[in-house]
Amino acid sequence: MKESYEWVSVKVSNPDRFFLKCHEKNIAIYEIQRMNNEVKIKIQTKDYSKLKQIWFIKIKKIEPIGIQALKKKIQKHHIFLIAIGIGLVFLYVLSHIMLSVTVVHSNQDIRFLLMNALEEKGIKENTWRKSYQEIEKIKQEILDEYPDQLEWLEIEVNGLNYIVRVEERKLEQEDSTPEACNVVATKDGIVKEMIYMNGEALFKRNDSVKKGDILISGTIKKDEETKSTVCATGSVYAEVWYTVKASVPLSYEEYEITGKTRWNIKLKNTSYHDFLFKSRLETYDEEITPLFTLFGTEVSFVKQHETVKKVFTMEENEAADKALTLALEKISATLEEKETIIAKKVLKKEVNNSTMNIEVFVSVLEQIGERQEFTVEE
Amino acid sequence: MHIYKTIKNFLLDQDYFIDLWQKNIHIYGFSKIEILQENRALFIIREFKLEILGQDFRVLKLTKNEILLQGIIKEMRFL
Repeated sequence: MKESYEWVSVKVSNPDRFFLKCHEKNIAIYEIQRMNNEVKIKIQTKDYSKLKQIWFIKIKKIEPIGIQALKKKIQKHHIFLIAIGIGLVFLYVLSHIMLSVTVVHSNQDIRFLLMNALEEKGIKENTWRKSYQEIEKIKQEILDEYPDQLEWLEIEVNGLNYIVRVEERKLEQEDSTPEACNVVATKDGIVKEMIYMNGEALFKRNDSVKKGDILISGTIKKDEETKSTVCATGSVYAEVWYTVKASVPLSYEEYEITGKTRWNIKLKNTSYHDFLFKSRLETYDEEITPLFTLFGTEVSFVKQHETVKKVFTMEENEAADKALTLALEKISATLEEKETIIAKKVLKKEVNNSTMNIEVFVSVLEQIGERQEFTVEE
Repeated sequence: MHIYKTIKNFLLDQDYFIDLWQKNIHIYGFSKIEILQENRALFIIREFKLEILGQDFRVLKLTKNEILLQGIIKEMRFL
């Protein structure tokens, strides 16, 4: 067996006496360095206990330095180091294995097509993660293979999951224009503006029309005789009217963010979801960042913003204004481009059960023309 | 020199030897150190004693039956 040695610092007033004692106790000294009242000696490790028996000296072990020290430390902590090594390898392997592939698209055919193409290229479950360059290459290859089906493709690496976003290519279909058609009114109203390319206008500005009236005719007549038929096209803007109801409570609650945040880990499964650590906030908003999915459980990083509930009360006038705005927003949400609200009038305003109820009459400039085909009699 | 001495020791199988050079003295095969001082050292080697007189004696190495001393050696005698 290989002998191990160590350096020991010895405080002694008479070194010669000390060496004699060492010889008496059969302690071999392999190297000696002398200082004032101190002697540094190199002895075998097994002789250290004998050295401690000499009563007239003070001894102190000198910790080794350099490669020897490193070797000694590695020997001492080898189990811990091996465990860390195995852990790092395990972590590396886990973080480089992709556990799922998700294609985000509403069309099932596209999803199926893409899943097959990705699988052929090696992007599938339980495989080693591809590098950025490989993913870019695969993306380009798939786009080249399916030029008629795919417009755009993005493969994201999100934790241990591939998330594939795709845009379907929609080829423009030829516009089939029917041979004969009229533009008819879809609502009652007063005509304000009429723009038409084909056909013959049957109403003028400020004429009143009813639902179903032909506004632009596809039948071209001269002296009451039909000369030809076309597909009438155009837009007819008319003033139409609505009665809208809206309700606003006089008191309402809102949650306000206090600025206090906490971090947590969320585990979500099909059957349950829970936090890894106990949440210390009573009410909060969540900001979720998905990390990875492991054995069907989605692990996410959650940032919780603390919120406090605040109750607000409004005056009747304020509530009425808010209800009016709400009513107008309801109408505005249905309007297309160039369509506007012309006028408004509050018909009824009442408070019932701490709620402001209003009824508003709204006058709107709206496109009411709709193309309607008809058959030409021979 | 070390190899030469090792081979010599092995072949001759000496009980003891004393090497002296410059300011050093190497003694092999003693059984006891009786005196070890700055100016005097006394070793028991089998049937005789070896006394060394001088100045500033310092121990450089020390094992059970071997010692390397450094210092100014003025006198050395067998008792």
